Amino acid sequence: MCFRGPTTTEEFHYQRTLLLSAIGGKGSGYERYSAAMYFHKGGIVSPELLEIYRRCCKLDNEDPIKLAIHEGIEVFQESDLKELEQEKS
Amino acid sequence: MRDIQIPKDWNRKGLPGWSYHSPALLELEIEEVFKSHWQIVCHVSDVPEAGSFYTFDMCGERAIVVRDQNNEIGVFHNICRHRGSRVVAQENGRCKGALVCPFHGWVYNLDGTLRGAARPDSFPQLDKHEFGLRPIEYEIWNGLIFIRFKKGPQPSVNELLQPFAEEIAPYNFENRVPVSEMWSQSIPVNWKSVRDVDNEGYHVAMAHPALQDLYGNNYMDEPYVDGVSRSYAEFNNSGGKRWAVRNYTKLSKPNDGLPEHLHRAWIYYGLFPNAVLAVTPETVLFYQEFPTSTGQSLLRGNTYRYKTEDRQQRAARYLASRIDRETVEEDIQLTIWSNESMASKSFEGFYLSDLEYGVRTHHDHLRKILPIYNVEMQPDESEITELNASLAGKS
Repeated sequence: MCFRGPTTTEEFHYQRTLLLSAIGGKGSGYERYSAAMYFHKGGIVSPELLEIYRRCCKLDNEDPIKLAIHEGIEVFQESDLKELEQEKS
Repeated sequence: MRDIQIPKDWNRKGLPGWSYHSPALLELEIEEVFKSHWQIVCHVSDVPEAGSFYTFDMCGERAIVVRDQNNEIGVFHNICRHRGSRVVAQENGRCKGALVCPFHGWVYNLDGTLRGAARPDSFPQLDKHEFGLRPIEYEIWNGLIFIRFKKGPQPSVNELLQPFAEEIAPYNFENRVPVSEMWSQSIPVNWKSVRDVDNEGYHVAMAHPALQDLYGNNYMDEPYVDGVSRSYAEFNNSGGKRWAVRNYTKLSKPNDGLPEHLHRAWIYYGLFPNAVLAVTPETVLFYQEFPTSTGQSLLRGNTYRYKTEDRQQRAARYLASRIDRETVEEDIQLTIWSNESMASKSFEGFYLSDLEYGVRTHHDHLRKILPIYNVEMQPDESEITELNASLAGKS
């Protein structure tokens, strides 16, 4: 997997935190989507999954991962993030 | 050297009445006076951390000030590169990590570059710089963030205010914090009527009992010279008659570092065309006005205090704001009376006192940019743009 997104490890960790932020937090839908765009550039969020995150932008209480599974869309695994992390460091 | 002498024989007339209600002239003012001159958006302390933003709307244009993850401040058009929607709809706040357009979901990094378009598979490859938010010219002067939507005749803000740099330095503008949220108020007058009232102190004794009580006998105006005016007042430590004034003069307590000759000073710097910076021993503040139509203006401003202040300073600041609030309300009434005179065919125009020379010099600055103000009789609306260009030698 080729990580083409930005750049620093620190940024990677920050975006990871946003991607996995607690469901229900105010503004968290937008935060997850913007982070999903970051990881889409990195190749681990598919276009279909990115679209799920977009749909959940204004729905802070909606879990995009659960919605994706419900709609039969493949989701990334924790191991994908770890693999990227190793690639970064 | 600033020449602040009032000439012996000066033209005491104001701008022609028609210029206060002409839609065609307003269009010229928007382009040549407002968009092409420096405007204050906010203070760096209004965007304190990565992702903090402040938006600013003026005359159909929209800007956003945002602090990025490297702590750098950037200023951009608040316009999505996709369909032109506001990228940020709130006045201020914090976006963690990115700005997301609420219309279709384009995502921008905090440095303005494009992170990605929504449904990226529906677009060709988009360059993150080419499709990034468009930058706006800005300058941070002593912590205040100035922007300019179009190139214009003014020099840098630093150069503009250089004559007062030494006087302003001890107020330590850059290390201030906002007292509260930005205030704004819409009032039913042409923007020039706001300036016409604010550019003279002749009315203070009549219209502002609190200001008169505070410093009425120790007040003087300097005219606009090279785009900046100055008004200086000193309050009397012997105390005023009014409750707020009496207690303010008792409690006012400058921070260490403010030289003694400024301990009782309230100073106002008028920044052509539409803003004022003011300093007191406790606070620095700005206010400004924009046209929203020929007969409607938006007032906007904020006040900044020392980061640390004791109870006495806090109380003095509160009392100063009470005096200011009262004054603003009184001034708004004066702007309404001044503005309605411009609609009367029976009013023959201003005949200004030497104490109102600042009004004339502001008008002269306007005349220099738009010579159409020199035309006394109202031209046909359809001819104003062309006539102005011809008077300016541009056609």
